Amino acid sequence: MEVSMDVPIMEAISGRKFPAAISLQTPVISDRELEKKRCDFIIECYKKVDFDVFTADLSAPEDWKPTINPDGTLIDLWGRVLMFDEQHKAWVPYSTIFNTPEDFENFELPDANAPGWIFAIEYTRKVIGEDAALAAFIRDSFAHAWEMFTPMKFVVWMYKNPHYVKRAIEKLTEFNIQIIKRIAEAGADFIISGGDYCEEKGPMVPIRFFKEVVFPNLKKQVDAAHKKGLKFIKHTDGNIIPILDDLANIVDGLHSLDPTAGVDIGEVKAKYGHKLVLIGNVAVDSLAKKSKAEVIEETKNCIRKASPGGGHILSSSNSWAAGAKLENCLAMVKTGRKYGVYPINF
Amino acid sequence: MPLVRVTENTFLVYTSGAIILKENRSEILGKLKELISKIADFEEVNKAVTEALGSEIDPFSLVNALSEALEEVGKKYESGEYFLSELMMAGYLASQVANMLKPYLVRTTTKTFGKIVFGTVKGDIHDIGKNIVIMLLKAAGFDVIDLGVDVPAEKFAEAVREHNPDILAMSALLTVTMPEMKNVIDVLKENGLRDRIKVIVGGRPVTPEFADEIGADGYAEDAVKAVSMVKKLVGVKEG
Repeated sequence: MEVSMDVPIMEAISGRKFPAAISLQTPVISDRELEKKRCDFIIECYKKVDFDVFTADLSAPEDWKPTINPDGTLIDLWGRVLMFDEQHKAWVPYSTIFNTPEDFENFELPDANAPGWIFAIEYTRKVIGEDAALAAFIRDSFAHAWEMFTPMKFVVWMYKNPHYVKRAIEKLTEFNIQIIKRIAEAGADFIISGGDYCEEKGPMVPIRFFKEVVFPNLKKQVDAAHKKGLKFIKHTDGNIIPILDDLANIVDGLHSLDPTAGVDIGEVKAKYGHKLVLIGNVAVDSLAKKSKAEVIEETKNCIRKASPGGGHILSSSNSWAAGAKLENCLAMVKTGRKYGVYPINF
Repeated sequence: MPLVRVTENTFLVYTSGAIILKENRSEILGKLKELISKIADFEEVNKAVTEALGSEIDPFSLVNALSEALEEVGKKYESGEYFLSELMMAGYLASQVANMLKPYLVRTTTKTFGKIVFGTVKGDIHDIGKNIVIMLLKAAGFDVIDLGVDVPAEKFAEAVREHNPDILAMSALLTVTMPEMKNVIDVLKENGLRDRIKVIVGGRPVTPEFADEIGADGYAEDAVKAVSMVKKLVGVKEG
């Protein structure tokens, strides 16, 4: 599976242009016909590539319309200012409407029970049928706040006004809990919570903050998913080793297991394979820069390390990005089909 | 205000006819460094800087102390002792101090010695070091076009074409983004722009060896030395 593909890669797979810009972080399409086309486009590509899991994310609620500013930026539902990235054909967060923590206190968060949020998930389920696996995305409340405030403001407020940041994460967690209930009703099989906790060196904020704020809120979301019979996968790039023990006690699986940050999927498998599903981890850099033969070898190595005993879903270490070579991506899938067959003994 | 050095760390300052003994210059600078590297409250840092400026310490020494503090925090981050947020917060504190120092680093000349295009390379969003160098370059009489952070190679090339600078300066804080500096030089070559300008590189992980290896014309290990390097490259005498 792949958690997502950039539009240029999907255009290369489908052989046709997608008429609208999207965002991997936030709903930006309000027109329902266009949103259906987006879902159809993703489904078509996933079918062509022959993935085992389909993915769908949240749609914009029905009463929301995007506002494009005179400078070409767009403000999303969460106060994030997005700009258009031509290479990825996507809107990416780069600024914020929040200048002070009090601005957030006065900000009205979107209503999780408003109609329309789960439009894409319901539509995708309808199109792919009941038998296909469907993963639904939510945005992790820590990562969401990190992006909403921008990393610099998040950090400054975290040190100067920690209660504001904590409160923001709690509010976003409450939103996610309501959304998780609706996702379950829409027929998804499991949740993938997007947004990073770590970068190449390690966790982005001190571990104490994770233990006091991030993990308790993560657990609330996982519990909400479990109550509805959904498994919960946490995505994060970066070096997760310093927080792996805690994560393994909260979530059902991990996605990305970033090899460029020194995460060895074999070591994670040996230590946590009995309790975690591992989704990964052919390096996205390899998909972009290495030869097809090297990608095949790396994929075989990944299967050797992570697949024995089950609990492994082969994927890249993030997503199929615009810079990836399509032939490498397809070679990864083909290698998975050929060698990912039990018993693993090649 | 005249200063007379008594010992390495002790100065006599003549104020309104009185002689005030100013001891422990290094202690004052050391305190500022410590406050930043231990991520103190800005109020404490503010107080230390105000005291330092009141002690007639050369503001350029404070800039150096800032650079050293950031260097130390950077090393702690690289070694895993500090997290990204601590690196960012130290940068924030340093930028606040830099803002306090700005009025003391005013341009002392009306001459313009050259034009510099400056940016943090693609993949890197850190700009505190860059901003400190820019502040000093402007004070030293250079026009600086600041391209900001996360600047793609093509944008550097475009800026060179548009502004025709004497120097292109690149900054990187992260080891992983250093290779992008070579990429920028390659793109300049591909566009026939490399020979028009001098290229200098800097940032915590950058070394003189790396600068040589990628074909840069200059490297400086801190903000003050960066200004000297720029002056040397454009043929301005220090003074």
